Amino acid sequence: MAPITCKAFLNHLPLRMEGSPSPDADAHLRDCPSCRNVVDDLNAIHSVARSWSAEEAEPPARVWTSLRLQLEQEGLIRDDHKVERELPRSRGFSGWFAGLPRPALAGAYLVLLIAVAFGLSRPTNKRANEARWLEGTQDSTLPLNAQLTAEQVSFASFNDSNPVVTASLNKNLAIVDNYIALCEKSVQEEPQNEVARDYLYEAYQQKADLLAQMTERGENNR
Amino acid sequence: MPEAEAIRLAQQGNAAAFERLYHLHNRRVYSLCLRMVGNTAGAEDLTQEAFLQLFRKIATFRGESAFSTWLHRLAVNVVLMKLRKKSGTETSLDELTEPDEESGGPRRDFGAPDLRLSGSIDRVHLQRAVEQLPPGYKAVFVLHDVQGYEHNEIAEIMDCSIGNSKSQLHKARMRLRELLHEVTRDKAREDRKAASADSGGED
Repeated sequence: MAPITCKAFLNHLPLRMEGSPSPDADAHLRDCPSCRNVVDDLNAIHSVARSWSAEEAEPPARVWTSLRLQLEQEGLIRDDHKVERELPRSRGFSGWFAGLPRPALAGAYLVLLIAVAFGLSRPTNKRANEARWLEGTQDSTLPLNAQLTAEQVSFASFNDSNPVVTASLNKNLAIVDNYIALCEKSVQEEPQNEVARDYLYEAYQQKADLLAQMTERGENNR
Repeated sequence: MPEAEAIRLAQQGNAAAFERLYHLHNRRVYSLCLRMVGNTAGAEDLTQEAFLQLFRKIATFRGESAFSTWLHRLAVNVVLMKLRKKSGTETSLDELTEPDEESGGPRRDFGAPDLRLSGSIDRVHLQRAVEQLPPGYKAVFVLHDVQGYEHNEIAEIMDCSIGNSKSQLHKARMRLRELLHEVTRDKAREDRKAASADSGGED
């Protein structure tokens, strides 16, 4: 049996990697360190790549929250519309802005969020101690937290209107609330951790955005 | 709720069915997007876009192919479209591979025995190398080597022949090997420099 060249071996390599060995290629591989290196390298790459599949992660809950809202806005989830018309006029925080159009309402939430962001960043500028970091965080988030909670309570009145919508909204809010609780815990444990503070701000932003969009739906269907 | 039932109900606009389908497939789609774009923010956007397109078109799904294959086809198209826009060009799948490999064979820089990748390759370096692949290679590599799809499924997802899928996978792996060798060489060079500086300092 005549030995095959490296070129012939490499031409056969795609088939070999797909599980089609050949005696000629096996013989070449035993005698050729360079081609052995190629095969070992490709196997190593394949092995590391396969290990990725074992750690498939779920996307964050906000992806579904956002997707669901988009589907509702496009009318693809049809069974919600009938119920949305029955939604009572929103109360609580958004009720204060009930007469405002959507951009103004979003602006109102934005003002509050900016206030939170300012509060969160305040200790950085003052180089305060940890207690002041924590105090600054609580000073800035507690009022908004209370307002958002009041807003959330106002949506509890939808409970009897449509169980599917109510369950979904409550689920999304619960996810965001859990996220906020986790972030607050992290901030309390490490008041100077800027990443934790950023995450807390982002969590409040998500909740405010979710409530603003829910308010808009309520307003549109009055 | 079984997948077939969820598909039927989603075609009627049932909200719970949409959510069921999303939760059945979101991990695979997100994983595909994450490996293709290499960052979580981009992967989240693309996952949302892929499912949005899926739900917009779900009424047209007739079951000619597996639902997951259909979904992955949409997802791959969403990602490739994004990568094409990023590169500022509209190109076909063939053009998304590299034009410098006329023979389809590897370059002859096999690497000396001291530069073998086995044992030195890690996920971080591999991810960085994958990000440098042309989009077409990247898609086939992720679908086959990471997600475990067979070539006939990839051919359906990518709308190409089985032979094309095999060829692109091999080229992708060989290109990755080159990219990883570059990393290994750079690291060896830096180690030598550091060792040289240390020994110089001791003299």
